[in-house]
Amino acid sequence: MTSYRLGSGGAVNRGQSLNFTFDGRTYKGFEGDTLSSALLANDQMLMARSFKYHRPRGVVTASSAEPNALMTIGLGSRAEPNARATVVELYDGLAAASQNRWPSLRHDFGAVNDLFSPFLGAGFYYKTFMWPGVLWERLYEPLIRRAAGLGKVTMQADPDRYEKSWAHCDLLVIGAGPTGLMAALAAGRAGIRVVLADEGFRLGGSLLSESAAVGGQPAAEFAAEVVEELASLPNVTLMPRTTVFGWYDDMVFGGVERVQKHVASPSPDLPMERLWRIVAKRAILAAGAEERPLVFGGNDKPGVMTAGAARTYLNRYGVAVGGKVAVFTNGGSGYRTAADLLAKGVDVTAIIDARPQSADPVPDGLRVIRNGSVIATNGRHRIEGLIAERSGFEEVIGCDALAMSGGWSPIVHLMCQRGTKPVWSDEKQAFLAPDVGGAFVAAGSAAGHASLGDCLKDGSAKAHAALDSLGRLVGSLETPEVEGEYDPSFAPLWYVPGARDKAFVDFQNDVHVGDLGLAQREGFRHIEHTKRYTTAGMATDQGKLGNVNAAGIVAGMRGVSPAEIGTTTFRPFYTPVSFGALAGTARAEHAAPVRTSPLHGWARKNGATFVESGLWYRSAWFPREGEKTWRESVDREVLNVRANAGLCDISTLGKIEIFGQGAAEFLNRIYSNSFLKLPVGRARYGLMLREDGIVFDDGTVSRLSENHYVMTTTTAYAADVLAHLEFSAQTFWRELDVRFVSATDQWAQMSLAGPKARIIMSRVVQEDISDTAFPFLAVRDVTLRGGLKARLFRISFSGELAYELAVPAGYSEAVADSIMDAGREEGICAYGVEALNVLRIEKGHVTHSELDGRTTPDDVGLGRMMAMQKPDFIGRRLSTRFGLTAADRLQLVGLKPIEADKEIKAGAHLLKDGAKPSMANDQGFVSSACFSPTLGHFIALGMLKSGRERIGERVMVWDGLRGSEVLAEVCPPVFVDPENRKLHL
Amino acid sequence: MASLITCPHCGTRPKEEFSIRGAAAPKRPSPTAKDEAWHRYVYVRDNPKGRYQEYWHHVAGCRRFLVVERDNLTHEVFGVTDAAEFERAGAAE
Amino acid sequence: MSINLLHRHVLDDHISGFETDPNPNHLSVIRRPVIFSVLAHAGREAEVAEALWNAEDVAPRFCGPSEWLAVSRTVGAETVAGMLSAIAGASVVDQSDGRVLMEIFGPSVRKILSRCVAVDLHPEVFEEGQSAAMLCCHATANVARTGADTFEIIVPRSLAGSVFEELMEMGREHALTRGFAD
Repeated sequence: MTSYRLGSGGAVNRGQSLNFTFDGRTYKGFEGDTLSSALLANDQMLMARSFKYHRPRGVVTASSAEPNALMTIGLGSRAEPNARATVVELYDGLAAASQNRWPSLRHDFGAVNDLFSPFLGAGFYYKTFMWPGVLWERLYEPLIRRAAGLGKVTMQADPDRYEKSWAHCDLLVIGAGPTGLMAALAAGRAGIRVVLADEGFRLGGSLLSESAAVGGQPAAEFAAEVVEELASLPNVTLMPRTTVFGWYDDMVFGGVERVQKHVASPSPDLPMERLWRIVAKRAILAAGAEERPLVFGGNDKPGVMTAGAARTYLNRYGVAVGGKVAVFTNGGSGYRTAADLLAKGVDVTAIIDARPQSADPVPDGLRVIRNGSVIATNGRHRIEGLIAERSGFEEVIGCDALAMSGGWSPIVHLMCQRGTKPVWSDEKQAFLAPDVGGAFVAAGSAAGHASLGDCLKDGSAKAHAALDSLGRLVGSLETPEVEGEYDPSFAPLWYVPGARDKAFVDFQNDVHVGDLGLAQREGFRHIEHTKRYTTAGMATDQGKLGNVNAAGIVAGMRGVSPAEIGTTTFRPFYTPVSFGALAGTARAEHAAPVRTSPLHGWARKNGATFVESGLWYRSAWFPREGEKTWRESVDREVLNVRANAGLCDISTLGKIEIFGQGAAEFLNRIYSNSFLKLPVGRARYGLMLREDGIVFDDGTVSRLSENHYVMTTTTAYAADVLAHLEFSAQTFWRELDVRFVSATDQWAQMSLAGPKARIIMSRVVQEDISDTAFPFLAVRDVTLRGGLKARLFRISFSGELAYELAVPAGYSEAVADSIMDAGREEGICAYGVEALNVLRIEKGHVTHSELDGRTTPDDVGLGRMMAMQKPDFIGRRLSTRFGLTAADRLQLVGLKPIEADKEIKAGAHLLKDGAKPSMANDQGFVSSACFSPTLGHFIALGMLKSGRERIGERVMVWDGLRGSEVLAEVCPPVFVDPENRKLHL
Repeated sequence: MASLITCPHCGTRPKEEFSIRGAAAPKRPSPTAKDEAWHRYVYVRDNPKGRYQEYWHHVAGCRRFLVVERDNLTHEVFGVTDAAEFERAGAAE
Repeated sequence: MSINLLHRHVLDDHISGFETDPNPNHLSVIRRPVIFSVLAHAGREAEVAEALWNAEDVAPRFCGPSEWLAVSRTVGAETVAGMLSAIAGASVVDQSDGRVLMEIFGPSVRKILSRCVAVDLHPEVFEEGQSAAMLCCHATANVARTGADTFEIIVPRSLAGSVFEELMEMGREHALTRGFAD
């Protein structure tokens, strides 16, 4: 037996045993285990194959920085690749699988890459697979991706729920180790709102792995006591299993809570993960420090891990990582691990100390090789021994695990995510957190404090400083005593010379010292270039373990201080975050909110097919039995409106109520045409321009009383128009008394159009609506039979005799039903926006297909709507520019095919008959097209160079995308009732 | 993830509630101003790095246009005022 | 012919089937509230606000410096319209059909709403009686605290279905029930 579970000890619940599988084999662990501790307890040190060389790998850490032990957790649709076994909480039935190996973890065919490794150094694929270029995408990249890699993502839909939440606090404490607990305790006792978040499932951090005593009791018990007090405080929120992964603008922190990742059968009422946005007035980074690996030959052999990891497996999980453990260190951490191992009865073969001397206490009988180094390791799937070297003499030392310590790097990533770089400290031999202002500070070992006592003290002190700055300071500093402290100092050692095997810097990406050297020689000297060339610091761990060593090694190669090399840029996310958590509930049909018209139910029961229009769902057409295509339904609806009558839901048009003595003048400045003299009880079509003279939107304005108007806008521009009005009132013409509010949702609006519209409408409203009493463009409040108050407008978009009736939304279905009943004898039908579009194209009315952000009023034949006699309106000044008045501008025309059965499609280009398709010959384009059932052939609206002069000319309608050429005749854009007789019936 | 703007009417809100309309400094010229003034107003914008005044429309809140003065590199916000106040102060200068 | 004046609530389609007894956390939809937009004209903001706050039977909800919603669950629209139009310097618009009023309450209400709004609803920050326009479940809403653990949410009718579904989804963990109040 090599690694094994000790007979007692650790914070695992030995009374609760859990079954789990790894690569199909069943193992047992305990509640409180991580997947890696449980695997080690079962003597499963081989956990993975490396990314490029497929080398056998074991676990290197007991933390979220783990680069090697990446596994796929779960089955089927819940399979999640690249989970770090070191932070996966064990649950009953957990299924884990190793990755990047074939056919098995022990016998991996891909390991031949290791033999070819001389050809696979940094940047090899840039050099090897250069020509021919076309093969890169088709052959090389797919091959490389297959051979090198991480886990595979499942292609099945994620069955779980996710959600997002906000949290607000006075103080956010990130990390619940000794520093974070003391900070949260001081702040919590002072009564401010505290959030304490920690990525682990048990709060306590390094105290859970600590053999020293705190406050006269075992460290883990001390931690439990503090957590218990914090949990009892109503102003403190504890957030275990929550990784704070990002620091964003304005003291917003991003966190992800793994709500049910550790649950064997997840509840459908709980999310799998929850994304947090935590708004904090102050924040303390108590994320701790990462132990650096030593860079020596064969340092990636399974069984080689950091000394702190060996100690955590021992003290927290009651697992010995080996039966005979060797230690290779440059500081006190190695001695402390050796002492703890010996205390638990684990054999320690030797300490190889890179330093010539040290004051660390040596346990009785333990051999220390000072000034020594490890130059190679033996074994394949697990370390079986090492070759130590001192003063030129080599010695083989037997071991089945090697605990290494290269010193400590404060975990400062979060504080560097908004553009500030970490600062190198020669004294601490580490990159420290930068000063980012007083609101966010690092504390404890994240701030470079090494000893447990200093961390406890610093946590309280930083909380007191935060309380002071918030004006909430009460009480004085209290720090518990630590017994059994060790000297955590270390001497820098970036690279151990004499390596007989690859000395890895970045385990996850298989980057070794040679690669870094190659990058320097080939000119990729800036650390960001070195990263991209070698891939050091990429992928899921983003170099948490290796980056500082890489900086130190590159500094050594170039003979400068690591301060001059610096680090690569730290960006969110600190650890990987699932897309599920980022999406939250916004998936599938919930990807965006849905807006429904008050007449949605009416349309649905009349069989409507709906079409998305922005957030709205609009009724597109109403198929009847026997109609096989949408065109059949639309043609019938159009013909019926022209012959009888139809009812269309137009509730989605924007409706803005406008009040004030300045309203008339305001509208006069907003629209290009005149509004001062619009009489009460009348509607007017209006054009709004942008300040550059281009049409912005069109719509109608009705004057309901002296100082009360209602404006309609297009569906698409409703929000933009309201914003435009608000902006203009607030910044341009503050002297005008005018107020607006949207009433879009209050009113259902329906258009009743067709020669029989008046007969039908008069059965519904009480008032006289004869042409004399209620002429074209009249507006009035009406009372419906039955008593309901409504608004009636005589406005037409279809070109037919038409009314728009607005009723309070809740009554609209009843009203629409009544109109349908009232019009049954007249042959009324429901029609949708597709028929409406055909009707308006036949009538030559423009929409945003023509008002496309490039057209002036004159371009679309509405030049008469420019009231240039007005001293000012938006767009007036620039509308007379040369470019906007040029004779060869594109102008609105109608188009009809020469051969009546030919189809014209929107988007096609217009060419002179016989001209070759090219930009030079481009004469314009088709903006809208449809089949006109009224005329029996396709018709179109188009924008054509000097179009109005070219009526009668033949043009080629060229659709290169869909490969069609249709000869068409240019005609006036109004196909139906050009004299407007129908409007005034 | 988020940025926060403190609206003088509504309090601290996430940026999702706002819509940005660009530089607040350019003033709409009088209708009789020279072509050059109108050209500059409609088309010419500085693209400064650093301190910058912008219109932010509080679409999902009070629906007021605000002028947010901030550093567009660090997103440090120096002040938020109602646009009407801003114009009034500008007119008084 | 006479029109049968059947009034439909937009959430009728979303709240159907057997109504259970409300749980401690409950979402109650008010079927026919009276809701008016009140706009104060330039320079009249303070007096309109004062009149609105002194008005009987209506609860004012703050939207912006010159805009409020006046909400009543006790008196009819005509009464409210009469009362509001008597306020000098104000223009009013009936929005009773254009807005949906929901009341959510219970011991977990803040937890549920923290998944729906970005605003800090801690009672010392968002006090009882306070109201504001804000994004709620991706829609523009007016949220008011009407009790220690009670909030009123007013959303546009067209988005009410989406907001309602999202609120219920966020309430699943806390066994949120729902129903019409009347």
